[in-house]
Amino acid sequence: MAILPEPLEKLMLAFERLPGIGPKTASRLAFYMLRAPAEVSADLAEALKDIKISTALCKVCFNITAAGRDLCDICAAPERDNGLVCVVEEPMDVLALERTAGFAGRYHVLHGALSPIEGIGPDNLRIAELEDRVKEGRIREIIVATNPSMEGDATALYLRQRLETYPVHLTRLARGLPVGGDLEYADQSTLLRALAGRQDL
Amino acid sequence: MQILSLSLSNYRIFKRLEMDFPQRLTLLVGNNAQGKTSILEAIHFLSIFTSPLASSDREAINLLALKEEIPVGRIVGGIQKAGKKHTLEIRLILNPAQNGSGRLRKEVLIDGVKKKLFDAVGFFNSVLFLPQMTRILEDGPEERRKYIDQLLSQAYPGYVRALSDYQAALSRRNALLKLLFDKGGDEGQLAYWDEMIATNGATIIEARIKSISDFEEYFREQFRRLTGSREEIRLDYQPSYNGENQANRQLELGINQSASNPFGYAEIRENFLARLKTLRREEIRRGVTTIGPHRDEIRFFSNDIDLGVFGSRGQIRTAVMALKIAETQWLKDKSGELPVLLLDETLAELDELRRADLLNSLGLDEQAILTTTDLKLFSPDFAKTCQVWQVAEGRVEKSNSG
Repeated sequence: MAILPEPLEKLMLAFERLPGIGPKTASRLAFYMLRAPAEVSADLAEALKDIKISTALCKVCFNITAAGRDLCDICAAPERDNGLVCVVEEPMDVLALERTAGFAGRYHVLHGALSPIEGIGPDNLRIAELEDRVKEGRIREIIVATNPSMEGDATALYLRQRLETYPVHLTRLARGLPVGGDLEYADQSTLLRALAGRQDL
Repeated sequence: MQILSLSLSNYRIFKRLEMDFPQRLTLLVGNNAQGKTSILEAIHFLSIFTSPLASSDREAINLLALKEEIPVGRIVGGIQKAGKKHTLEIRLILNPAQNGSGRLRKEVLIDGVKKKLFDAVGFFNSVLFLPQMTRILEDGPEERRKYIDQLLSQAYPGYVRALSDYQAALSRRNALLKLLFDKGGDEGQLAYWDEMIATNGATIIEARIKSISDFEEYFREQFRRLTGSREEIRLDYQPSYNGENQANRQLELGINQSASNPFGYAEIRENFLARLKTLRREEIRRGVTTIGPHRDEIRFFSNDIDLGVFGSRGQIRTAVMALKIAETQWLKDKSGELPVLLLDETLAELDELRRADLLNSLGLDEQAILTTTDLKLFSPDFAKTCQVWQVAEGRVEKSNSG
């Protein structure tokens, strides 16, 4: 016995499938759409429709770019350093690194990390494509910036195995104490890693 | 070390409970299934941050509370340690999940400040003695591993962390082994997980080697005392990381001499890693990790007879009692303070002589909390020294002793 008309139910279900949204939020959003001016839902519908059609992956780094283009803005920028490539798990990570404005090289997006539990192996990631880029021989250094989790570390170590035969310098992002943090409140494993990764003064 | 007060909410049969404990002896009296053991369980929970009885900690949350939107079980202990008073609080929070089965989250607070479980374990020490603990000797090796893990986690804070990292890496490695068998793929992916389980595994094995040989001394002394020196007990720890019997025999020697052990962390780790490499083909075929601390075994020998196989009921009970008294002494020497003793229905299981022996050794220095269905098991003189609490249907009431 459906109390709500079917289109509303359908919208609620669609919202509920999104990550981080439960039944309550889904119904709140659906009712909001119902009451809001028509252009709000029209704009959303258009944006949703476009997102698949008008985006594509960059052919070099596999970051997200506008459809119909081979290269993303970063790969197309001539002033960037071709010899330096930063490997990340997700496109969101590119965004995070770009916000720092502290990196002037290129990127490579793996689209995930090796995860035996989820059944994700090297063939499900853009690892072969990274190897191809390295083979070309223009890259001096690869910065592996996968997450500091078990899966991220496993991916990093695996990349080392795949790439160690090439004349490329492999580095991993430093891990340690957060800026503005307090030594006494750092947990043991962070502190241990910070100790192991200490630098010359 | 003492527990001064305990307050429970939504814990097992108790909707709410407030109790206080005297410095020495407390007797919990009541019929079966009234909540006596749950009180001991809750106190021991404060030591090991997991239920010593339940297969899953969520079982400890009161059934009625499960109907609430976010069910929270709470254990708060007033602790006296090194002359200072502290409160130790554990919250068991069942997060509602989309598909019915929520995830249990544990929070630990010392003096109102949230702590990481790894950092807070070992803050409060207690020794729990349940009649069913004869299982440690009688049942499969996982019971003995669980026992050793719970003991060591109270004495070495780093142990729990290594154990939890080991488990996490182990389940991923097993998943990868299955994946490689089912779908094939690059075996190089195993290198990281080999490294992870060898590193954490070596930490665990080294801690087990060191502490078991150390603890064995205490255990042997208590067993000798309880049997009137007629029987000699020996612990045989059989780590499973190299699979070579020869090496195991050497290790055994190391334990028994309890001299400086040649099996240090680096050596264990290296052997473990090498063995994983030689086993790789077979492990992929079987889809599981076949060696490591999750396969360790500890056997109990009395006069060279394996008690787990040939031990009589009486011998096994004596061994468990010696184990528990040894545990108390050992924890005292490790932490500098006597742990709180929690004895569940222990006396009913013992003969007159052993009972007197246990009661005489009790409550001289340490705090002990005992449960019984029958106050008559205790002499009036003994009962007079105890604070008696009546436990019935999840309620407690102080009553005059004797």
